[in-house]
Amino acid sequence: MSNLAPNTAGPTGIEEAAPIVRMIGIEKHFNNVAVLKGVNLDIRPGEVHVLLGENGAGKSTLMKILTGIHEPTGGEIMLDGVSHSLVTPREASEAGISIIYQELSVINELSALENLFVGRLPVKRRLGVPVVDWKLMEDEARSIIGRLGLGNLDLHKPVGEMPIAHRQIIEIAKSLMKNVRVLVMDEPTSSLTSVETERLFALVRQLKAEGTAILFISHKLDEVREIGDTFSVLKDGVSTGHGRISEYTNDDLVRMMVGRVVKQRFLAEEPIDRTAVPVLKVENVTSADRKRVRDVSFEVHHGEVLGFAGLVGSGRTDLMNCLFGAEPRAAGKIVLNGKDITPKNPVDAVKSGMAYLTENRRQTGFTPNFTIEGNIAVTKSVKDAPFRGTWGLVDRKAERVIAEEQRKQLSIRCAGIDQSILELSGGNQQKVLVGKWMSIAPSVIIFDEPTRGIDVGAKSQIHEIIRTLAAAGKAVIMVSSELPEILAVCDRVAVFRNGRIMDILDGATATEESILSVAMRDGK
Amino acid sequence: MSQRLKLGKLWDIYGTLCILLVIVVLFSALSPTYFTRPENIVQIFLQSSITIMIALGEFFPILIAGIDLSVGSVLALTGMITAQLMVAGFDPTLAVLIGGVGGGLALGAVNGLLVNFTGLHPFIITLGTNAIFRGVTMIISGASPVFGFSYDFVNTVTGFVGFVPVPVIFALSFAAVLWFFTAKTRLGRNIYAVGGNKESAFYSGIDVKLHTLIVFMISGLCAGLAGVLSIARLGAAEPAAGTGFETYAIAAVIIGGTSFFGGKGRIPSVVIGGLIIGTINNGLNILRVPTFYQLVVMGGLIISAVALDRLIARMR
Repeated sequence: MSNLAPNTAGPTGIEEAAPIVRMIGIEKHFNNVAVLKGVNLDIRPGEVHVLLGENGAGKSTLMKILTGIHEPTGGEIMLDGVSHSLVTPREASEAGISIIYQELSVINELSALENLFVGRLPVKRRLGVPVVDWKLMEDEARSIIGRLGLGNLDLHKPVGEMPIAHRQIIEIAKSLMKNVRVLVMDEPTSSLTSVETERLFALVRQLKAEGTAILFISHKLDEVREIGDTFSVLKDGVSTGHGRISEYTNDDLVRMMVGRVVKQRFLAEEPIDRTAVPVLKVENVTSADRKRVRDVSFEVHHGEVLGFAGLVGSGRTDLMNCLFGAEPRAAGKIVLNGKDITPKNPVDAVKSGMAYLTENRRQTGFTPNFTIEGNIAVTKSVKDAPFRGTWGLVDRKAERVIAEEQRKQLSIRCAGIDQSILELSGGNQQKVLVGKWMSIAPSVIIFDEPTRGIDVGAKSQIHEIIRTLAAAGKAVIMVSSELPEILAVCDRVAVFRNGRIMDILDGATATEESILSVAMRDGK
Repeated sequence: MSQRLKLGKLWDIYGTLCILLVIVVLFSALSPTYFTRPENIVQIFLQSSITIMIALGEFFPILIAGIDLSVGSVLALTGMITAQLMVAGFDPTLAVLIGGVGGGLALGAVNGLLVNFTGLHPFIITLGTNAIFRGVTMIISGASPVFGFSYDFVNTVTGFVGFVPVPVIFALSFAAVLWFFTAKTRLGRNIYAVGGNKESAFYSGIDVKLHTLIVFMISGLCAGLAGVLSIARLGAAEPAAGTGFETYAIAAVIIGGTSFFGGKGRIPSVVIGGLIIGTINNGLNILRVPTFYQLVVMGGLIISAVALDRLIARMR
């Protein structure tokens, strides 16, 4: 654990410190396609350097070159001032470069302890027989996990049973046990709640103070501003900007990433008449267990987007499932334009014009064995068909027209509507799913974490779609754990906690702080 | 990249056919005089017809990432009911409708309802119902074969149209109907969606339980019709008929390129899969390979065929 001793460069030495890693004019071609065209990147000790860029800008490729997974086609990499034309995984690891991927690499079935020591279990001899030295492991693990602020973590529980935030900390601990000088974090906050994010940031600041260089990849500008010192922007494989974050506005950063100005706030343009009959009226919805969702009532008015904020696990998704008939209810009524449409199950919901973009596109969103066309068409086909969506022939011609329409309207980037959905990027998969729901012309639309894991460009496009739907008189509900997103899109914000709405705030005056304080208020 | 993709696509459609051709060439070389005779080709089709019928049904549970292990027992029980009805004086057509069609659909529905209500994997449910259906067959027959039913029935079902045996026509036309069903109807496509991802299908407004029920009813129906073919061919309803047939049915479906993980597969390839099983059986008989060795060879060929398929699929 001696390698945890801080490096010599203190926080005061930030500017002067020589870069640990310096990437100069890095180029990378895959089959004659240039992915990186001369990218520069400096990483200094005791500094959080943020790498910005849309999906597909080349961030992952650059990271893979740094960690030795890919060979660069051109350019130079300096590790501690020594020039290399390429880095092997071993050299990267010897130089103390460690990466934490977005998809965590902990093994869910193993305990925290086993994960920390996987591949290098310490051994002692008992009666001449080598056995695992659990005592030693536990002592070492305790000291390091304790330093990361999780002193009372059950080290013997399978990590699969822990919240993602804890798994992430175990992953960080794992790299700290090696000689880490450069820690690369690829979108570490994408599945964390705000509280967990704060804790992670505290940890990052601590590592930084100890002289570790952090390379932080993220899409979320506000958090980048909070944690980052310096930044580089990649766009289409080219460095489009770098500098100290404090000297640039968010609009500047977005312009560098996207090449244009992206609208940040999309509230209703016309005043919303809340005295008129609401488009959607939800009354006393309670889940079958009477715990996860308790007596929830709310209204959505014409032209309005109602946001649902709250901590992960507060029951927001359970509520949406109850509204859509995907989860059994003990009570509840859903009234659309004065008509009771309370669905018993998703079949009813779809038939009566409800759409539900679920929070996990891989698990509950797309059909992996279908093409783009199939994914878009199947829901409309079910909605139109008699006998619970089973009767009739597939009208390929009409469906191709619909799918083609959605592809154009949502500018889904693909080789054509016959491409498998698995071959698309996350943002484009999400757009296909939006297209699938748009094709049924829904009157109630629930978006659950609609922009999770997708890039700035696609994100603002989806926000615009949400606004357009609201303006067209649809009842739009959006659940998001990203408060900036909630503030950017929602006219009112329902704050959820312990299965009920604590308060509904006005989107124009709400702030992240006001939402959080309600979300964490002690309810009875 | 794109060329590989094309190869993969072609293999999806014609791969099983290639395997069949290789096997045919192999046996033709080993037995040049007998194997290729027209009457033997007809014989292969005839021998394959029951396997094809069962495999056509088995295709659907596998398509939704499930399985139906009870098809052999369904074949025996539906055959037994049909035979007993005929012996009891029912009109053969009515007996077939009640015993084969009705019985098959009902037994399939039992499987489907159990899967839906217990939430257990179809493997467990149909492992259980396989034993139950077999037991019921033994009980209602006193464990002895039933024969002595209408010659008209036997002659019709085992007859020929031109040189083509009726069971072959029956199996192939049924395959054509199911092919249309899977490729062109909404219900068929919904089943593929359920097979690809049950949860996504559920949230898209597809009634997953209803489709699961239908899938098992189709499987039961096919096994029931195979039961009718089987009693006609044997001229008797054997309580032990169809024992182990699920192995052949599953093998035919998998050799036909159907994914065990659900959502992928084509009816024509399943028919060819059934023909491959029939051809191997026939070829080994002609080569006078003793039965026990035949089992060994059959097992080996099944594994090689599927391994080859996956190898080529991976090249994509």
